[in-house]
Amino acid sequence: MYADEPMRPRTMQGRAPDVFTRGGWIPMQLRSDGEEVDFVVIGTGAGGGPLTARLAEKGFSVVAFDAGPYFRPLEEFASDEASQSKLFWTDERIVDGANPLKMGANNSGKAVGGSTVHFAMVSLRFRPEWFRSRTLLGYGADWPLDWREMWTYYAQAEQDLSISGPLSYPWGPKRPRYPYRAHEVNAAGLLLAKGAEAMGYRWSPTPLATVSAPRGNSPPCVYRGFCRVGCSTNAKQSQLVTYIPRAVRAGAEIRDLAMVGRIEVDATGRATGVHYHRDGVWRFQRARNVVVAGYAIETPRLLLNSATDRFPDGLANSSGLVGRYLMTQSNQAVWGEMEEEVRWNKGPPSLALTEHWNYDDRKDFFGGYCWMGQGPLPIEWSSVLTGARGLWGEALRRQMENYNHQIGLKMVGEMLPHLDNRVTLSEEHDQYGLPIPRITYSWTDNDKALIDHGLAQMRTSLELVGARNIFLQKDDTNHLAGTARMGFSRETSVVDADCRSWDIPNLFVCDGSVFPTTGGVNPHLTITAIALRTADRIEALAKRGEL
Amino acid sequence: MDTRSPTGPVAVALAAAGGMTVLGMALSGAGLRRSGRRVAARANAVVGAADRRTAVTAARRLNRASGTLAASVLFDSAVEHYRGGFHNKAMYTPLVAATLSLLVSAHGHRDRGHDAELARDLVYAGAGLAGLLGTGFHVFNVGKKPGGFGWQNLFYSAPLGAPAALCLSGLLGWLSERVRDNAPDTAPLVLGIPAGRVVGAATAAGIIGTVAEAGLLHLRGQFHDPFMLLPVTVPPVAAGFCAAAAFGGAGRPRPLARWMLRASAVIGLSGSAFHAIGVARSMGGWRNWRQNLLDGPPLPAPPAFTGLALAGLAALSLLEDQPE
Amino acid sequence: MTDGTASRYPGYNVLSKRDGPSWDEVTRQVIDRRLNVPREPRFLDPERFRTLKAVCGRILPQPPERPDVPLAAHVDAKLFDNALDGYRHADLPPLREAWLRGLAALDAEAHAAHGRAFADLAYRQQDTLLRRCEAGELSHPAWDGMPPASFFSQRVLADIVAAYYAHPSAWSEIGYGGPASPRGYVRMGANRRDPWEASEARPGRERTALKENRRVR
Repeated sequence: MYADEPMRPRTMQGRAPDVFTRGGWIPMQLRSDGEEVDFVVIGTGAGGGPLTARLAEKGFSVVAFDAGPYFRPLEEFASDEASQSKLFWTDERIVDGANPLKMGANNSGKAVGGSTVHFAMVSLRFRPEWFRSRTLLGYGADWPLDWREMWTYYAQAEQDLSISGPLSYPWGPKRPRYPYRAHEVNAAGLLLAKGAEAMGYRWSPTPLATVSAPRGNSPPCVYRGFCRVGCSTNAKQSQLVTYIPRAVRAGAEIRDLAMVGRIEVDATGRATGVHYHRDGVWRFQRARNVVVAGYAIETPRLLLNSATDRFPDGLANSSGLVGRYLMTQSNQAVWGEMEEEVRWNKGPPSLALTEHWNYDDRKDFFGGYCWMGQGPLPIEWSSVLTGARGLWGEALRRQMENYNHQIGLKMVGEMLPHLDNRVTLSEEHDQYGLPIPRITYSWTDNDKALIDHGLAQMRTSLELVGARNIFLQKDDTNHLAGTARMGFSRETSVVDADCRSWDIPNLFVCDGSVFPTTGGVNPHLTITAIALRTADRIEALAKRGEL
Repeated sequence: MDTRSPTGPVAVALAAAGGMTVLGMALSGAGLRRSGRRVAARANAVVGAADRRTAVTAARRLNRASGTLAASVLFDSAVEHYRGGFHNKAMYTPLVAATLSLLVSAHGHRDRGHDAELARDLVYAGAGLAGLLGTGFHVFNVGKKPGGFGWQNLFYSAPLGAPAALCLSGLLGWLSERVRDNAPDTAPLVLGIPAGRVVGAATAAGIIGTVAEAGLLHLRGQFHDPFMLLPVTVPPVAAGFCAAAAFGGAGRPRPLARWMLRASAVIGLSGSAFHAIGVARSMGGWRNWRQNLLDGPPLPAPPAFTGLALAGLAALSLLEDQPE
Repeated sequence: MTDGTASRYPGYNVLSKRDGPSWDEVTRQVIDRRLNVPREPRFLDPERFRTLKAVCGRILPQPPERPDVPLAAHVDAKLFDNALDGYRHADLPPLREAWLRGLAALDAEAHAAHGRAFADLAYRQQDTLLRRCEAGELSHPAWDGMPPASFFSQRVLADIVAAYYAHPSAWSEIGYGGPASPRGYVRMGANRRDPWEASEARPGRERTALKENRRVR
């Protein structure tokens, strides 16, 4: 039930699984450990996936490592919450602080494609002002990126991922039409819409990375509702079915089940390659450039764990900020029951949203948030009832019987960066012999004010559609950011606008860890857009001989 | 691998269906040219004399047009209203009306007489009324949903255009009775207007409405297959020719109009084949028919174009036969 | 059910769809394995397993009219596989150690309070003990620094409840559609049921629901 047979690497023979055909393969170029490849990319998720594909398409030799397996969705993704936990990063991590984070299912994936294999596909753009939130809005930190430039990379990401979204999106500056039409909104989403309209707010079908019409070998979504435990139909446009096959076609090598434990740096202070664990042994891959794309826990963990005499506090850490300014997003929810049957598990979980409070600044705290319709599967829903209401025994079973009548609204809210929210290395070691990360998190007063505001708003929305037995889930968070922030100077940030570390010129970080602030929308599309931009910047740097 | 183009058996099937469409259009074009010459010759031979047999032929053609539309509506509304669980008893109405319209159309098709039948008239009038009421229902339903008449509801809520096809079936049937029921040695009139003009104008309008419906739904599907452009490109041209004929000079052949209408008729039929391929491409294919027949592209919808094209051809015959 | 009311979804059994288009091969394999979980403990010792079974019986008392979901066996399987969650609170020891210590401590508390093993207590006494655990009111040395409240919320509730709602019997009970691939769902609106979904026995339509549920494939 819990553990499948241990998997062996699949891409060692010069071929990679063809995710679109059962038992199929696509040819893949192999590189030897001794070959000094142009780029090693560590992690194949929302940041590493597009970066690997674009660098390979630009003619660089690239080897991308992922600690997880290269899955075949059609054959290996069961319609089952419990067994699909195989997609999550379930290695031990220690959480503490006043508001410890939940990891595992929530925040990280261990598979080729990273957490995009099990994310909820919500693909939103930042509000432009968030890229200069310190200057324009008075909190957090400015990004060294211009929103207009990001707008073009967002558009590219939306095209590459065939985002299904509304013909006109109600918030923010004009954007091109989404490549595919928005999906039909289910009953849970329509109740969000009804509530929003009653409150005088606009709402929208959520732009999602799952196709509403055929796209190549991806059939349209069948609304099975298992999105967050892996899509078995390939309708979901995860990295695994989009950028990864592109990367392989363009000549990149994907090394599955390969855990990078240390980045090697030579006497001149340049990265020379990575030590990785695969198929039972430690190996060393030489590289001219190293990109870390392990997301906000594994990225700082690797940088910290690669400390040398020359860099005793870890790589790229002269600022002391590696692992710091960790951010999550408030993911609190309000739940209730309807008289009618809602059957919220039908369709993707978040088919409708309102970004009203991302664009309305009449509030007495910093940051914004959106909220979305919900459709948790039974195990997840039972954990809400045990966690938020402490139900067990007969009371729990009776409440669970209302499953088909439940509705819920969940916020994705901006939490402010704080120096003391951070990732460090603990004394314990994992199966690779590497120190386990310790994740320390406490909400700020501003975070609490934003959460209270969101909960009250969502409660009103549920009340206005006639929900009964409403209760609040006050403790949930989701998504990660920070820990290797980008910025304008080596004193105040870890990487520059090109995601290049200030300290080691051939070491890059390309994932959500570079976010100086996290905004009030899901981070995936912004990570992808940054990766696309980074690939273009690397090409430009290489042309100028500055790599 | 180009992920934007289908691969394997699907490509073969698409190519086959596409080839059949093109072939059908070419054949109909060839047939057209021949019949165009034939009509031209006949028109020259009998200048000014309306032929009662032509009227009956045209009327029977309209019966076929009405029946084709009715069949399309019958199966389409059966599928869609089954999907809706017939939660409102009124959702059976189009099934009954379309079935009756189909039956009397078959009856009309077999009937070579010169007289209108009251039963047929009643059924056709009823179908037209049911179509109007259906449109009203659908408008009401869309209007009360969150989002109102926004794109989202136009795409996914009760289709505003679908009941209109039932209206058209009734209208064409009713017109067929008027055409059939003309006095000897006169050109058929409807409400004092030459029947060819009325049928031609109604057909042109009907085609445009159907194009709008197909365009809306194919936009929902992001025109992901180039063949999805066919129903929004050829039929509008056909409608234009049809309208030009309806408002233009009578008594002369219009081979281009015929050509385009026949092409539209072929597109209508091959559309069902394309949609069948679409069902096969959906997750689970035909084995998952309980889902894919409902969520996939609708099999019964495209032949509405065929029905309207038949009506257009009837109009052209009437117009050619009509004295200048 | 146990409180005397009839099932909300009479006659509905999610397993009736096993061979239809809602289940694919990998799902059948996964669920078959789950239904055939070894009933005897492979990780826990018999004493602790007995305590665990008693705890499971109180966390999720099961209806008498169908075979019990062997919750303790599933928790033991999780421990046997050492299937971690991906995080643990700093005040808790790792998964296996937490369960070993927690079950022993609950038993020790039972002996201290009632002179009997936890499994031999009356339901009411077991419930009381569990509630005190939940509230963090237990302090026997056997806890050895592990906060009982954390053990209760992070391990007892989380692991047992997750095991229950991973089981087809629980899915049938709550009218959940269960596995859905390649066939997903068609009717997305409120009060719209696909014919392969559970039909609810609202007052007055119990017989209809029964009939519809028997046709679910």
